Amino acid sequence: MNLFSRKRPEKLALNTNAPVTKPRSTDAPHSPLASELTRLLGPQKVLSGLGERLNYRYDAILVGETPLCVVLPESTQDVALAVKAAKAAGVPIVGRGAASGLSGGAAPLKESLVISFTRMTRLEIFPERREARAQAGVVTLAVSEAARPHGLVYPPDPASFRTSTIGGNLGENAGGPMCFKYGVSGDYVRAMQFVDVDGEVHELRRDAYDLAGLMIGSEGTLGFITEATLRLTPPPRFTRTLMSHFPEVGQAAEAVSQAIAAGAVPAKLEFMDKACTNAVEDYLHIGLPREAEAVLLVDTDGEDLATVEEELALVESACLAHGGTVRRAADDTESAALWRARRSISPALGRIRPQRMNEDIVVPRSVLAEVVREIRALGEASGFHLVQFGHIGDGNLHPNILFDPRRESAEQVHELAYQVALVALRHGGVLSGEHGIGAMKRSFMRDALDSVTLEALWNVKRALDSQERLNPGKVLPGDADLPHQDTHAHP
Amino acid sequence: MNHDIPVDQLGPQGEIMAHAIDACVHCGFCLPACPTYALLGDEMDSPRGRIFLMKEVLEGELPLFEASPHLDRCLGCMGCVTACPSGVPYGELITSFRGWSEPQRRRSAFDRAKRGAILKALPAPRLFSAAARLGQYAKPLSPLLPTSLKSPLDLLPEHVPAMLDLPRRTPAQGPQRARVALLAGCAQQALAPNFNAATLRVLARNGVEVIIPEGQGCCGAAAMHTGARGEALKLARTNLAAFEPDDYDAILSNAAGCGAGLREYPEVLRGLPEEAAARQLAAKVMDISTFLARLSEQGGLEPFMPAKKPLKIAYHDACHLAHAQAIRAEPRALLKLIPGVSVLEVPEGEICCGSAGTYNLEQPELAAQLGERKARNVLSTQPDMVASGNIGCHTQIQSHLRRQGSPVPIHHTVEILDLAYRGEL
Repeated sequence: MNLFSRKRPEKLALNTNAPVTKPRSTDAPHSPLASELTRLLGPQKVLSGLGERLNYRYDAILVGETPLCVVLPESTQDVALAVKAAKAAGVPIVGRGAASGLSGGAAPLKESLVISFTRMTRLEIFPERREARAQAGVVTLAVSEAARPHGLVYPPDPASFRTSTIGGNLGENAGGPMCFKYGVSGDYVRAMQFVDVDGEVHELRRDAYDLAGLMIGSEGTLGFITEATLRLTPPPRFTRTLMSHFPEVGQAAEAVSQAIAAGAVPAKLEFMDKACTNAVEDYLHIGLPREAEAVLLVDTDGEDLATVEEELALVESACLAHGGTVRRAADDTESAALWRARRSISPALGRIRPQRMNEDIVVPRSVLAEVVREIRALGEASGFHLVQFGHIGDGNLHPNILFDPRRESAEQVHELAYQVALVALRHGGVLSGEHGIGAMKRSFMRDALDSVTLEALWNVKRALDSQERLNPGKVLPGDADLPHQDTHAHP
Repeated sequence: MNHDIPVDQLGPQGEIMAHAIDACVHCGFCLPACPTYALLGDEMDSPRGRIFLMKEVLEGELPLFEASPHLDRCLGCMGCVTACPSGVPYGELITSFRGWSEPQRRRSAFDRAKRGAILKALPAPRLFSAAARLGQYAKPLSPLLPTSLKSPLDLLPEHVPAMLDLPRRTPAQGPQRARVALLAGCAQQALAPNFNAATLRVLARNGVEVIIPEGQGCCGAAAMHTGARGEALKLARTNLAAFEPDDYDAILSNAAGCGAGLREYPEVLRGLPEEAAARQLAAKVMDISTFLARLSEQGGLEPFMPAKKPLKIAYHDACHLAHAQAIRAEPRALLKLIPGVSVLEVPEGEICCGSAGTYNLEQPELAAQLGERKARNVLSTQPDMVASGNIGCHTQIQSHLRRQGSPVPIHHTVEILDLAYRGEL
């Protein structure tokens, strides 16, 4: 399937369902499923007008099919009822948080029921247990904001943390700059509630079979996380920030390896290439070094200021040793501005080309310099605008191919993305560090996994979703020819 | 984002719309900045959702009536413009779209009459003042009326002040430092004549000669943003004739919405013979706070009398200052020049108060929810006084502070400066 082509037929079909004589978009439902859901949940939680459904077909990277119907549940019970109704109607279901994802995870590829969790926003903080209990639709930043008065924070910090939801973060196992020292979303889950494909509600903890771990990063293909108990931590007392820029991209990667080998454990260690730096500078105008081929942004943090400074000094000398120019943030304001720059890369790239193919590879740190250089060379040879940034501390890189679909070939973009993925795999890396596989990288999974392992994943999928009704077309390749074997509805 | 908008059939406004839609990468960074998304939690009532809806309508894939309820709920606060890293000119998009779509809409007779009345009364200060006085008498009947009639009455102050006759020219006191023109504003003249009086006093005291050019009218922002494009063009042309940019060091506005409105003239007149003149005018337009802050930097302002006792002022960012014109630091800096004054930041300060031009008349329920939320946030800072730079916010916040039983006064930033000069702070 060509992910970048503009697809129209579904609209023609839907227009016949939405006659122009209809006076209001909130009028009577158009499909039997919408009628049933309206009966079960009431009209406020069900969207069936064309203007309402059209807006639930995309995430931050992909525009998919218009959903058949959209549900905005307010409780786990609502989710369970919606899932049961969809099962009875034989309609696939796609879960959706704030749809800021970057692999197409929340974009329906078939006419589906979309369950949007944005109204499930109940959040409780239990300071004595250092835990938060959050419904799936709670915005990520809100967890830390609620915990802070108790002297606690929720460390996972994807770039979209002001928008994205806990449910979406767990579905994609989202990371963020903090992941090098503090881990990704899944590392903070103590327990969760999920609704399975039959609409049954389960409470999972992280003991015995780690089914919660299975749900994390499953991108809504195994069930719907409706609530999670999250671990909170006290924020570090001290944080120091430095920025270093390099005349060559490989040097930055080498500096990173040396700093870590020397014993530094930075809280954040981020990399941006020249195109990223310039895109962000165009947006923020904060004096980023436009001429540098690579920029590193580093935080060290901890309870003891001397150690924090010492770690920063280790990073500084590694950068200097590899030809970097170092600038320490003078104060919190400067540090915040630099980090805002990092968070703005993704959307700021839209100023260069309207569309992009976004990779999320992770490679061993020992081969970083080589990988960065190889990808750079692939980009230059292709003639496409290829940029790289990422959480370089744990080897997580985001090579992005920027393109204009009206002037450039989507097939060639996909081919270049495939070549980039192969570079990662050849060097012992994986396809996704934090964005998920989604629809964008699904076809590369055949190269990433051997057939036995892939079959094991399919067996898990079949065990939890035998009819492939949960977020079809995501993660696992080969949905068109799902082998039919003895299956069980759910464990 | 990709689109198939027939740009060549839509003219210069079509180019504006297509460019904005092109620029959106649907990342969703705008969602938390949108007041209606905060209230309703659905994609259609977010900036990203509205951009998709406009695209679909322009492409002919979605009937206008399906999109209209959600587009009508947009306040035009521009919070999303501040939040957008891709630089999507959302304001130009929605204004152009409303201008394009309004002639195609079928509205009820009541709706048409109401909109007509608003757009007629707003630009005519004397008519507005008369209507406001009439409204005052009707106020006791308010609980009996439907929401659409009740909301304008609820926003009226207890006493509608007498209109002031504004001098055509106010000479500078002492050595003249600058010569400026002032846009007098419309509703503001009727509801808060002291804004202009205080502006003239503060400017004169600082060596600025102020001309209020004859023949000026409403800036047209209300017409423009409700889709009454013909009316907006007429008003823009009136002001282009009245203000001669070369005659002044600056053309000042003391209402955030009006200042932003004047600065939008080049977009309104894009492709028309007056476009160049509109650019010249827009380049000279400045908010009163920016102008005074510049005077302060270049040679200082006349010293203020200290406040009688330490005074905590909560500063409210009007959307059309903070988001539309990126003016945040200047009013705060001016207030801090007054000895004894400290400036407080309002939680969720970037979220609109719900006034938004004619919004509180057209979407009273949502406007009231936002007004209530704004007043609650303002009061959470425990201020002695509130400052803002826009008549719409002023009326809305005042009305909601009173509804929450608070006696805390609200003033225009320039009124507070004026009070400080007079030793009455």
